[in-house]
Amino acid sequence: MEIYLQQLPQQLVNGLTIGGVYALIAIGYTMVYGILSMLNFAHGEIYMIGGFTGWWVLHLLSRQNVPIVNAALLISLMLILSMVVTGILGMGIERFAYRPLRKSPRMNLLLSALGVSILLQNLVLNYQGAKVRFFHVTSLIPESIRVFQVGNVVFSFTRILVLMVAFMLMVLLTVLVKRTKIGKAMRATAQDPEAAMFMGIDVDRIVVFVFLIGSALGGAAGTLVGLLFTQVDYYVGFQAGLKGFTAAVLGGIGNIFGAMMGGILLGLVESLATTFFPATYKDVVAFIILIIVLIFRPWGLMGEKIPEKV
Amino acid sequence: MMGSSFIKTRHLKTRHIALFTAIGTALVVAPLLMPDNYWLRIYGMTGLYVMLALGLNVVAGFTGLLDLAYVAFFGIGAYLFAFLSSNHFGIHLPFLLVLPISALITMGCGFALGASSIRLRGDYLAIVTLAFSQIFKLLLLNLNQPINITGGVNGIYNFDPIDIFGLKIMSPQAYSYLIWCFAMLVIVGSFRFKRSRIGRGWEAIREDELAAEVIGVHTTWMKLMAFAGGAFVAGASGTLFASFQDSVFPNNFDFAQLVVIYCMVILGGLGNITGVVMGAILLSILPEFLREYGAYRMISYGLILILLMAFRPQGILGEVGFFTKPKKRPEKDETGILRASTDLYYPEADLPTWTEGPRYTRGDHPVLEVKNVTMNFGGLRAVNDLSFSLHEREILSIIGPNGSGKTTLFNLISGIYAPSTGHIFFKGKEITGFKPHRIAKAGIARTFQNLRLFNNMSVLDNVKVGQFCRTKSGPLSIHLGSALHKKEERETERVAKEILGLFGTRLAGYRYDQKAMFLSFANRRRLEIARAMSTHAEVLMLDEPSAGMNPQETIEMTDFIKKLRDRYGYTILVIEHKLGVVKTISNRVIVLDYGSKIAEGSYDQVANHKPVIEAYLGRERN
Repeated sequence: MEIYLQQLPQQLVNGLTIGGVYALIAIGYTMVYGILSMLNFAHGEIYMIGGFTGWWVLHLLSRQNVPIVNAALLISLMLILSMVVTGILGMGIERFAYRPLRKSPRMNLLLSALGVSILLQNLVLNYQGAKVRFFHVTSLIPESIRVFQVGNVVFSFTRILVLMVAFMLMVLLTVLVKRTKIGKAMRATAQDPEAAMFMGIDVDRIVVFVFLIGSALGGAAGTLVGLLFTQVDYYVGFQAGLKGFTAAVLGGIGNIFGAMMGGILLGLVESLATTFFPATYKDVVAFIILIIVLIFRPWGLMGEKIPEKV
Repeated sequence: MMGSSFIKTRHLKTRHIALFTAIGTALVVAPLLMPDNYWLRIYGMTGLYVMLALGLNVVAGFTGLLDLAYVAFFGIGAYLFAFLSSNHFGIHLPFLLVLPISALITMGCGFALGASSIRLRGDYLAIVTLAFSQIFKLLLLNLNQPINITGGVNGIYNFDPIDIFGLKIMSPQAYSYLIWCFAMLVIVGSFRFKRSRIGRGWEAIREDELAAEVIGVHTTWMKLMAFAGGAFVAGASGTLFASFQDSVFPNNFDFAQLVVIYCMVILGGLGNITGVVMGAILLSILPEFLREYGAYRMISYGLILILLMAFRPQGILGEVGFFTKPKKRPEKDETGILRASTDLYYPEADLPTWTEGPRYTRGDHPVLEVKNVTMNFGGLRAVNDLSFSLHEREILSIIGPNGSGKTTLFNLISGIYAPSTGHIFFKGKEITGFKPHRIAKAGIARTFQNLRLFNNMSVLDNVKVGQFCRTKSGPLSIHLGSALHKKEERETERVAKEILGLFGTRLAGYRYDQKAMFLSFANRRRLEIARAMSTHAEVLMLDEPSAGMNPQETIEMTDFIKKLRDRYGYTILVIEHKLGVVKTISNRVIVLDYGSKIAEGSYDQVANHKPVIEAYLGRERN
């Protein structure tokens, strides 16, 4: 028990960081669900492609694993480009795979999303191969600030960076949703797309915008995790997608603030679980949480149950 | 008339015999024609894929449940064979014992998964089952320590050879015969199930779960049966697969495998058995011809899913099948006169004489009693301390402004909601809080204001679903085609046609095989009533039966409702907005406003009641 207590602060920090990333992924799920009531199976793949974009930027701007441009600029470029690429990708997916199906049964939409997920995963597999790509971040960050130690808690610079970027993006999103005109239109569309249309809101544009924002955040998460765990491969999207969805469900799907809280909660639970279980069962713990929550509180830990209209 | 239909069935029979002979010969000859062992293996795998796809078709195609744990059941069946028939644990059970054991255990797992996720729908069900299949794979990969159970990445290999009463199955040829025997069992079973009460129950759930429950289908149980049935087939296929491959690895049961099976089902068309079989054969053989493009295989599966969903969600075969009757649309009758669905008054003589019993009159004792029922939704009181009783063979109309709680009252009686307080009695027995299917079985059936038909099912099948709660055939008796099942099917068909006949030619003849969604609005209302009648209900609850009908159709519907009471002896509770209709049909009228009863009595009494006028028109200014 003693040793667990000693590890606790470190695990909390680790959990908070990975939780921030889960939250970013969860936001993408929750925003799309809020507006289209559909589960975007391909979101995990978007995250994976975000990670790959980040890796490519890093790779192209490095010689012998040493960056040839300013490190801060490089990291910003990685983030921005991965967000741009995934944002565009998300809009494309919406346009070609989901929009034609908006009026068909839900199952068709889900199957189409499944198709997109498989397509993207295997496209990446074909053109990138199955091998793991490494982010050489050590040379990116000067030695003097690479690691801090406070008490017996170790902060790495990347960890702090990831945490800060994740939270900054979440704050920006909150401002966007709560304070801007398009945010208001988004909230209206989520409540009732038809009524929003009658009020002069171009619902198609809002849906595209939601896919843009959600996917860009997912892409950013991909690059952030790449910086944190220094690797990416074609298969990471699957697990990350499930985790992000779990986080979205924990917070009550459709609820953006809930998704943020759910992500952080999941990250904390997972990293605390690794002190009690072998690391290989970390994912099992997360999935069991997902199953239990979906079965007993499908409206999320914080949300309210809405009776079905007959 | 009789003669021609007799000849037609004979003709269908010979067609079937020819087809069966062709298929039988093909199955016997095919393994002999395969050029080498490689193709024999593919042929065997095709049989396994046919089984797997048909099993998935039960869950995803018939019942519409997006079960992403399906491949895990395939894996459970395979690993059970590995455990029970190899040196791995030193257990050497004979194949003929392992096959049923593993199929039944897998079925149990399917049942358990279904039971734990039964309340979930659509996306949530998909994600929970996906999580289950991930957990399954993680366990397969990691349960090789501390004690070696699954063999980890290396899997388990070298199993006992199959020995069926001294007949050793060793060669790929023997395996292909064995596998295709089971595949044929599954194919035949699929067809039998599709045309049975269970198959119709599943399809009804896929189309509209709530409507299915209200019309008497025990939806929870049926969904569990779909899960268990799919798992049973997957478990049996897994056992065969393990023996066929002589090894099992976690990779055999990963997500990609699941996608392949899904593609087969979707390519063939969800629920279309012929199509699914074709899809399975096509997707097992085609990749072999495109081997040099092997890298693009999974990419093309992704594309198949996206493109099919966008352009042909009903699958490549669409509505075509071996056993579907040719479509006929006699726009003209024998005399060459064009028949339109808008033909109004049909000649009275056309009506079949259906239990032309005595003319019924109103009875004295109450059939349905509602006592002090209150329903709260959060802070809103939709129904407030309402009491009334419905007498035998009377028509009681419920009227009131929008939002006065009329439909909520129907939902309370039919069991969709349980009342917050109060009691409901049917023929003296309390039915408060019963599930809707039990209420339907007790003898109360309803229609929906906003039409909830099973749109993708035929008109006849829509009505047949109503008979679900009056029939009993279980899965075994359906698969074996028992006498009970056949008798019930004949009876169901007779009753369904009789009820549809009550609407003249509107829903009869070529309309039997038409999908409900192609009916006109008025005909859909009629079909809703026919479906409710088919449950052999005593009490019918009609929610705005004439809404959306033109004046002519309204008059006809009014006559029909009266006939339901006077000629066929139904007790009827009706919600209606058209006061003309209410005036004509009602024995009594109840007026609701803000969930409370503000008046009760004959139409004339109620119409002159001051609070009623106020509720409808507002208070007079003094």
